[in-house]
Amino acid sequence: MISIENVSKHYGSFQVLTDCTAQVKKGEVIVVCGPSGSGKSTLIKCVNGLEPFQAGSITVNGVSVGDPKTNLSKLRSHVGMVFQHFELFPHMSITDNLAIAQVKVLGRSREQAMDKGLKLLDRVGLKAHAGKFPGQLSGGQQQRVAIARALAMDPICMLFDEPTSALDPEMINEVLDVMVELAREGMTMMCVTHEMGFARKVANRVIFMDQGRIVEDDSKDAFFGSPRSERARQFLARILSH
Amino acid sequence: MYEFDWSSIPGALPFLWEGMKVSLEITLTAVVFGIVWGTALAMMRLSSVKPLAFFAASYVNLFRAIPLVMVLLWFFLIVPQLLKSFLSLDPNTDVRLTSAMVGFALFESAYYSEIIRAGIQSVPKGQVAAASALGMSYAQAMRLVVLPQAFRNMVPLLLTQAIVLFQDTSLVYVSALADFFGAAYKVGDRDGRLVELLLFAGAVYFAICFAASQLVRRYQKKLNAHVAH
Repeated sequence: MISIENVSKHYGSFQVLTDCTAQVKKGEVIVVCGPSGSGKSTLIKCVNGLEPFQAGSITVNGVSVGDPKTNLSKLRSHVGMVFQHFELFPHMSITDNLAIAQVKVLGRSREQAMDKGLKLLDRVGLKAHAGKFPGQLSGGQQQRVAIARALAMDPICMLFDEPTSALDPEMINEVLDVMVELAREGMTMMCVTHEMGFARKVANRVIFMDQGRIVEDDSKDAFFGSPRSERARQFLARILSH
Repeated sequence: MYEFDWSSIPGALPFLWEGMKVSLEITLTAVVFGIVWGTALAMMRLSSVKPLAFFAASYVNLFRAIPLVMVLLWFFLIVPQLLKSFLSLDPNTDVRLTSAMVGFALFESAYYSEIIRAGIQSVPKGQVAAASALGMSYAQAMRLVVLPQAFRNMVPLLLTQAIVLFQDTSLVYVSALADFFGAAYKVGDRDGRLVELLLFAGAVYFAICFAASQLVRRYQKKLNAHVAH
């Protein structure tokens, strides 16, 4: 489904990603973790072309992301993405947030889009808030709406960029629950997150990054059981002692 | 002691109203055109296409570096001649109003574009990323996501600029166009009551602009309350 081959990226002389290679198969849930500044967010943003990269190639469902001839908008319309800061559109009601891209990008009718939006809103447990504006919801609720918004586009896979790091602790679980459910339904997912509990529960593999490189790419049991690199061991020790 | 005599005002009201209509017409055209062209300029200036960004920056810097009165005079002296020769108009056609409108519109666009540019930049970058991630094109992201938020933040500034613009329309007196100020001046001159007429005109400008800024302030309060949610 997602194939990342020898991807490198630099801002001027600063190397952000070095020779990253990873595969995500259909139905797999991959957790990407690592210390801050390790390039994990950048890598996931390269997958749908939000960040350009200078070397290597990324293909999503057979479409090359780096190819200038690729219609990136079309590719992105079926790759769902959830951001750290939710990025709901504050000037639109929740229902409009859910419907706008369905109507303007996929060309669905407004009724169809509303219908689908409401169903998904119900699924993330927020049907009662349909008429509100994003500013009236809590962070956890906004993030669930953001997940519903991405799902409304019928994505072939979902990218999560630290979906819980901007949330208060008591709201993290309501978002993770939605993600766990999604994973169990067989959605292909690539998640940048520090939530190791989530990784243990649903991840097929864990990718550990450090200083722009993929240091480990292992099954979750192998990763949590016996991380190969010293860097990963330190990271796990620190994050688990929290 | 100077004896005030206001008696020439009531009879001149219809003529003054005609002048007010000219002032409002110029203001409205310049605001509408200024916002449309100003938005285009702002987007050019923020564009990654270098020649467009350079053009917009030069335009804005040029118009912001010359006095309005001079722009108006140029438009008064040059544009009517050009218009007349291009459109082969009768040399006696009065194009002063049109040239004043064009001059104001082009001049104000430079100021509006700076307000709009700041407004666009005030919308977090993540919003464009989110719109793009949903498959929107750059134009859709701008039109549906960025500009509506930018404009909502900018409304008070845009209206304040419109109030300033309304006051500045009095400068068209340099082309002897009878806007409200020009009309008041003419009446005062004719009746030898310049002081009264200018005081009256000042009071009218004050009343209109003060009322308008109060409305803007009220709107701004409402906006802030909404954002604070």
